[in-house]
Amino acid sequence: MPILHNVPLTLSIEQLPRRQGVGELLNLRPEMITLLHELLNSVDELHLLEPVIAYELHSITEMQHDRLCLKDGTAFHGQLLPSFLKTARELAIVVCTIGPRLEEKVTDYFKRDEPLQGLLLDGIGSTAVDSLVQEVCQLIRHEASSRGYEASNSLSPGMPGLPLSEQWQLFQLVPAEQIGVHLTSSGMMSPRKSASMIIGIGPDMPTWTEAQACDRCSLKETCHYRVYTHPEATT
Amino acid sequence: MNKVKQISEAIVQLKWDEIAALTNEALEAEVPALEILNQGLVPGMSVVGTKFRNGEIFLPEVLLSARTMKTALEILTPILSQQDTPSMGRVAIGTVKGDIHDIGKNIVVSMLEGNGFEVMDLGIDVDTERFVEVVRDNNLQILGLSALLTSTMPMIEETIKALEKAGLGQKVQVIVGGAPVTQAYADQIGADGYGADAVAAVEKARDLIAT
Repeated sequence: MPILHNVPLTLSIEQLPRRQGVGELLNLRPEMITLLHELLNSVDELHLLEPVIAYELHSITEMQHDRLCLKDGTAFHGQLLPSFLKTARELAIVVCTIGPRLEEKVTDYFKRDEPLQGLLLDGIGSTAVDSLVQEVCQLIRHEASSRGYEASNSLSPGMPGLPLSEQWQLFQLVPAEQIGVHLTSSGMMSPRKSASMIIGIGPDMPTWTEAQACDRCSLKETCHYRVYTHPEATT
Repeated sequence: MNKVKQISEAIVQLKWDEIAALTNEALEAEVPALEILNQGLVPGMSVVGTKFRNGEIFLPEVLLSARTMKTALEILTPILSQQDTPSMGRVAIGTVKGDIHDIGKNIVVSMLEGNGFEVMDLGIDVDTERFVEVVRDNNLQILGLSALLTSTMPMIEETIKALEKAGLGQKVQVIVGGAPVTQAYADQIGADGYGADAVAAVEKARDLIAT
């Protein structure tokens, strides 16, 4: 049951615009950029990030078009995993979080009638989770490589073809409570700035860009946070 | 440029640090508070809403303009109250049972307050019974229901049904919103309005109260 505490995350101002829903830094007014710098500094000064990862590797025993079974008997339902991870031999089951401190600070800003600071800091938190997910993918790539395999990108409950209800199975396979993440009665993660994911390990694992993942999302027409596909990135 | 026009421009240009002085100057020049509101602040926010819809400005800037308007309203409200000028409207809003997301709902609250609405923020994970109780016990024009996930979205419909069952369906108009919510879903469950974003939610609240 590997658990990694104090995962180093480096956030730069250039990473932040997407999760602020503004696309590029150029789209923000100078005073907003100044405020973002101040908030980013406060993240360090107030130790608002406590990045931690829990993961577990599980062998796959059976795969049908709408079901994937693991050695311990757990089955994930839906077509997403079998269709994307046809050649996978194992799954890495991962839960990670930046902890509750940042979102508590966001709530505090809204309570103090400083919604702009709250909104911008919330976006910084989402960017931190994105970075943490990248760290997870790097970690699992190393695990896969040590077995002579590749690792896929991450897939999460709630994506088309992997119902959100599969979150319960996922949480039975990884010691999430040991890193302070739990599910509410409706299957939502608390702290909110957390991510749960499944990564395939095996030969010829598929990878995709963030823009390609956005293209598959049911909210792609309206989402302010989507990453747009550049023509040369389309495969 | 006259004082009211300057105030309208201050909202559009996000001059949050100048709005208090401009508002006080207008009042000292004996511009009626209601005129400052209706011909300065409200048209300014309307321009901001249009710019947001057109992609010329983004949500952080809209929030700053709402904060700018709120600063002016804090000066005007005591005067408007003496003149028995009603508020823009009374709204209660919450994230439905089972859903703990609050950032979107909080942004709508800030936008509503910035536009002169009185807002009861019921928080997150709100029981259907609590929504019914609040509508029954308060003189509200609008109830806002938010959900961020498809798994919690059905609680919006449950809440609307509970209001109808309690005989409160005609007492309040319901606006729904959140990432998975669409106009089609709002129509299907019998909501009175749909807010695709915080700006649209405020505009819908204003429209529903006006009709």
